Amino acid sequence: MFRYLRRPTKTVTSEVDEELAVHLEMRVDELIGRGFSPDEARREAIRQFGDVEFTRQYCRTQDLRKEGDVQRGLFFEELVQDLRISSRGLLRAPLMTLTIIVTVGLGIGATATIFSAVNAALLQPLPYQHPDRLVRVYTDAPPNKFRFSVADYLALEAQQTTFARIAGYTGRAMAFSDGRTAEQLTGKEVSWTYFGVVGIAPAIGRDFTEIDGRPGSPRAVIVTDSFWRNRLGGRADIVGTPIRLDGADYTLAGVLPKAIGPLEQGQEFFTAAQWKTPPRKGPFFILTIARLKDGVSSAVAGEELRAINRRIFPIWRTSYQDEKATWSLMDLRAYVTGESQTTAGLALAVVALVWLIACANASNLLIARVTSRRRELAVRAALGASRGRVVRYLLAESALLAAAAAAIGISLSAVGVSLWRDLAAGYFPRAHEVALDGATIGLVAALTGMSALLLGLIPAMHGTGGPIDLSLRAIGRSATGSAAVRRLRQALVGSQFAIATPLLVVAGLFLTTLSELGRVDLGFDPHNVSSVIVTLPSAQYEDGRVGAFWDELRRRLEAAPGVQTVAYADGRPPNEVNNFNNFDLEQFPTPAGQSQPVTPWVAVTPEYFRLLGLTLVEGRLLDERDAPRENIETIVVDRVWAKRFFPNESAVGKRLKEGGCTTCPWTNVVGVVSEVKYAGVDKPDQGSVYWALPPTTRLRYVLIRSGIESAAIVPSARRILQELDPSLPFSSVATIEELTDQSLQQPRSLSWLAGTVAAVALVLSMIGIYGVMTFYVQQHAKDISIRLALGANPRGVLRLIVGQGMTVVVLGVGAGLLAALALTRLIASLLFHVSAADVVTFAGAGLLLAAVGLSACLLPAARATALEPASVLRNE
Amino acid sequence: MHGYGIATLIRERTDGELAVEDAALYQALHRLDRQGHVEAEWGPSENNRRARFYTLTRAGRKRMREEAATWRRYARAVEAVLEGI
Repeated sequence: MFRYLRRPTKTVTSEVDEELAVHLEMRVDELIGRGFSPDEARREAIRQFGDVEFTRQYCRTQDLRKEGDVQRGLFFEELVQDLRISSRGLLRAPLMTLTIIVTVGLGIGATATIFSAVNAALLQPLPYQHPDRLVRVYTDAPPNKFRFSVADYLALEAQQTTFARIAGYTGRAMAFSDGRTAEQLTGKEVSWTYFGVVGIAPAIGRDFTEIDGRPGSPRAVIVTDSFWRNRLGGRADIVGTPIRLDGADYTLAGVLPKAIGPLEQGQEFFTAAQWKTPPRKGPFFILTIARLKDGVSSAVAGEELRAINRRIFPIWRTSYQDEKATWSLMDLRAYVTGESQTTAGLALAVVALVWLIACANASNLLIARVTSRRRELAVRAALGASRGRVVRYLLAESALLAAAAAAIGISLSAVGVSLWRDLAAGYFPRAHEVALDGATIGLVAALTGMSALLLGLIPAMHGTGGPIDLSLRAIGRSATGSAAVRRLRQALVGSQFAIATPLLVVAGLFLTTLSELGRVDLGFDPHNVSSVIVTLPSAQYEDGRVGAFWDELRRRLEAAPGVQTVAYADGRPPNEVNNFNNFDLEQFPTPAGQSQPVTPWVAVTPEYFRLLGLTLVEGRLLDERDAPRENIETIVVDRVWAKRFFPNESAVGKRLKEGGCTTCPWTNVVGVVSEVKYAGVDKPDQGSVYWALPPTTRLRYVLIRSGIESAAIVPSARRILQELDPSLPFSSVATIEELTDQSLQQPRSLSWLAGTVAAVALVLSMIGIYGVMTFYVQQHAKDISIRLALGANPRGVLRLIVGQGMTVVVLGVGAGLLAALALTRLIASLLFHVSAADVVTFAGAGLLLAAVGLSACLLPAARATALEPASVLRNE
Repeated sequence: MHGYGIATLIRERTDGELAVEDAALYQALHRLDRQGHVEAEWGPSENNRRARFYTLTRAGRKRMREEAATWRRYARAVEAVLEGI
């Protein structure tokens, strides 16, 4: 061991001096023995030696370098030693070690997962060419951002000068048939410029050209890599041949590469749109994107957009009167991201808080451990270990813990990221782009480093603080620095409660939201109602055959066992309405320059009302007479619509012009029925209009009410459809209860996340306060015993100890409630039928935490009053 | 063996033919110490002075065998060249 002690520089140099001096002395002795006089001998010895000064310097340098090497080796040796000793020590306290590793690991893993999602969705640029130049162009009628119509799109294309190019697209489901079976697939109809604007070149074949977009040209389609592999056999020579979509032939122009952006994700094919100049301004279905020219700012482009809109407004005055609406543009990334910032920010904050609370808890546990080991540490210090050495030893312990936690965190986040890609795709943007990339690994590294410091530094500073002799002397009294430690640990536990409170409040608010959403009255009995979407391809079914098909389908379905009623519609509750229409009331015409009211318009067959069980409030229901020929002449409205537009009189008999058409005949309200949710369970009713479904409608929602479980109806409906036409595609077979359930996916996920996190926080806070109180009782065992021995009332002692703990709890919870008040305001948009400052939730969360804190304090307190004074005092 | 002893030994073994300068010897010893070929330790000398004693380490012994072999080959080669002169 001796040679490992560090030799100071002074020792090294003086040793060289001594060695050389001894050599010269011996040489002098030898020379004197051979007859030299002492003076001559000295001179001769130095002459024989050579350059003494240089040698001295040379040897010193060599020795010092060697010393440096030894020290470096020593450092690593000590490090390994520290790690070995601390891992042995940690294994001796497996429960504490496991708690720390798992909770901190959970915090790191959850934070890394959510961060990688936020990073992909909000921070990374879109995976397109020069994505900062891409914008979305829309009609701005606050609060709405409307799509373009063909008229808008063509006008913009012809008149704009600030964009390099514009493109438009619209969602389009079509039936793909490979000759034997058919299936309904999701795709998009895009302008021929689309892939040029986003900057994606087909991997095989060609991009669309201007000719593909010209009305009358042969139809062209570009498919995704997965479509090409799974449905076309992945053969390159298939490009240029026709494929069948909705019963018509489309030339396969090209196949996209594997890497595509969020706008292409989830699509199977892209057909080239052939938009013709329309007779009316509407309908509005085109999502327009554009690439800004280099050097053109979006402000300049926005100015031009407004100018073009003003120019074309007079041309369409007969079919479009909204003078207030302007054209505007936004960053494409902001459009793709949508309103996910709130959710993302909330989720990130929540998981980061879990990590923080886990660290606070771990720090607290480790302080307790250091305190009970103060004697060991003081002895080490007294035996010559420097303070830095002891700190390093303690930090090695926390580094070990943090590293183990990081390992758990990384594996958790690997699982979390793949789960996220699969599960969150429906309601979080760009979920498929989420990956454990460099940024996330960097974050994990940073979190691990910070965890190690948070875990280790406070206990280390505390464990080595104060003069050594004082610590050693204090061992006899065992109450070493108890006041300072207690304050430190109380602060940590207090902040644990302060963090847990808002988490609990948020979880409570989400759970309330979920239960409120589950209790929403859909307006009808969803039990035993199932539905399926069927599309008749125009190539196989000319207009004349369409009506006959629907009649036959209804006849066969009604004949199936258990089926009571069959109806058709162009939408279904609770959240699929495909037509929002504007209208102008005869009695209250919309003033010039203002937007006309817009509400859901649902086309239905007469059986629809009976099927859903809607009650007729006034007037009559729709029947065969109402089937529209040219124009919609009769409608039935729901109660909400009637109250909204005719609060003080009957709506029946009132007239309106629909769709912005001023030259069409009047549309008459003939009846009022009870209301149903169409815009989602969480949206307020805005009033719906029913009109008779035209017999030639090719896309229909088939609704079936049965006397038996609707799940049993689904397979027989499937069979009947296949018997009728095996090539017929149909999709979305579901019961209404399933659809309602699906629409609650996001609030349910949020409730789960917040609930889990709150439970973890609750448990950690409980561990924290329990630890502190146990420690307090240990430290004060003597005082308590003396009091009890002198006849103090055990209840008073109990109250004293519980009071100590509860002060911390109450202060923490109070601070937490204040923080929650500020925090929940940010998530108000995610709540339903519950205020962000809901008194019941706040009080409930506070009381629950206080109760948990109280029970955690009671156990150590009870143990204290049960102390045997005699034995405690004897042990001291 | 301490530095002085080594110097004396070299002189005696070679009858003074190989005069290694003391300076060079000490520089070599400290260099070898740093490289780990010798180990140095303080101890009492024959006449009871504190002296620094050097011993070969395992690595040093190995290196010496290699160097000695190299030198012997070299010397033999030179000898072979000079034969017959």
